[in-house]
Amino acid sequence: MTSTLLVAAVVGLGLGVFLQKGRFCFVHAFRDLFAFKDTRVTKGVLVAVVSTMLGWSVLYQLGYYQGFWTPDWGLTGLVGGFVFGVGMTYAGGCASGTLYRAGQGYLHFWLTLLFMGVGYAAFSVAFPTLQSTYFAPLTFGEGVTLFEASSLPAPLVALLASALIGLAYVTVVGREAGETGTGREQAAEFRPVVLATPVVGTRRLLEGTRSYVRGFREIDDPIAASKRPWDPRTAALGITAVAVLWFSQVSIVGVTGPEARWTGYLLQQVGVDASSYEYWGSILFAGEGVTVTVDMIMIAMVIVGAGIAAAWSGDFSVRTPKLQRLPNAVVGGFLMGAGSRLAPGCNIGNIYSGIASLSVHSFIAAVGIVLGVYVMTHWLYREVGCAI
Amino acid sequence: MSKPTWDDVVDLPDELDDETAEQLYEEADELQDMTGEVCPYPQLEAKKAIQGLESGDLLVQETDHVPSTENVPKAVEDLADAKVWKSGSGLYRIFLSKK
Repeated sequence: MTSTLLVAAVVGLGLGVFLQKGRFCFVHAFRDLFAFKDTRVTKGVLVAVVSTMLGWSVLYQLGYYQGFWTPDWGLTGLVGGFVFGVGMTYAGGCASGTLYRAGQGYLHFWLTLLFMGVGYAAFSVAFPTLQSTYFAPLTFGEGVTLFEASSLPAPLVALLASALIGLAYVTVVGREAGETGTGREQAAEFRPVVLATPVVGTRRLLEGTRSYVRGFREIDDPIAASKRPWDPRTAALGITAVAVLWFSQVSIVGVTGPEARWTGYLLQQVGVDASSYEYWGSILFAGEGVTVTVDMIMIAMVIVGAGIAAAWSGDFSVRTPKLQRLPNAVVGGFLMGAGSRLAPGCNIGNIYSGIASLSVHSFIAAVGIVLGVYVMTHWLYREVGCAI
Repeated sequence: MSKPTWDDVVDLPDELDDETAEQLYEEADELQDMTGEVCPYPQLEAKKAIQGLESGDLLVQETDHVPSTENVPKAVEDLADAKVWKSGSGLYRIFLSKK
């Protein structure tokens, strides 16, 4: 037990530091992609998903793992994911972004966390009704991951999936380069055009990777560099390292599940009989009593880790939100809490851990979340317009 | 400047020393107090304000939101050159000079 607690502390602190230093916010990753074609954080998310998928597939093959994220799949992922995506864009931070900024001293995101708690509680009360009216008709099949469904070795499946993600990426990059003219000259050497586009994109990917690696050699003062913001790709590799450790010892990385458990636990402390609610009692706490679980410790340590990293970087301060931003924290937080239960899963559970698990449920939920961000971004930017 | 591409390496804006930042702050044509705000409102306000300024005018945003120091300059990169000053205690000023 002590060693598991130590792992939880290391993983939580590590995640907090890497999330804070990499500004690892999934709202930023997708909203700014749609609004201005800003891809810094989006690339970090891609690196995290692909490298974690490869790491987990090896552990799975060797038998050192505790389980994938495989809820039953169906349209719940799309509906819940959409609600969650709208909520996180309105709140100004995703599940992981809210956590690390809470550690950085934002009262806005403590309020968001509180209303995520209200969302979890409302869901738990409505759960028996939702089970027959929402989950039953919208669930189509049992949870499945391509790792378990395929007869190929897991690392090979992960490599194939990474290659597919890579191909999609270089095609998009290549097409963009063609449109803006910068890559057209090189592309003209190759025929047909369908082949040229990924080739140009691959060249861009290699150039980008080379310049990323070169960046490390230019660091002359490591301490000063550690205080500056890090490239999200660096943070992604750090996140992968702790996620691999967590996967071998405890589970996939989730945020809103443990938060929903915290809500039940805290309500229990103030006299609410949380264990009598089916969702807390028999599902979240699996009939083992409403107590502090190891993943709850891990999530709490994320806030601590982010606080330490922020203080080290000169970014810690207690920030009071503007009055006009309160609806964002209240409504956005509630939608995130409720949406993450309706899907189930948040941006970390579904876009990060879920795609890295090659879970069918998460493919659908990820589409739902990104769709939610897209719609909400276009609404927020209605006066100035979006790039995509 | 051409339109942004997917592949742009968005460099962090240059950081100003305290003295230069103080001097520039005095010369601001428009000030925006964005403390207590979260994304994307500072980006939106910067974009709206910069569209109303003349070439060479300076817009300064004061903010306590860390991501703004990167994504506000990115939001208006076609319209303005950006510099950033960091206090070291969670307060930042973003200097946007209209092109």
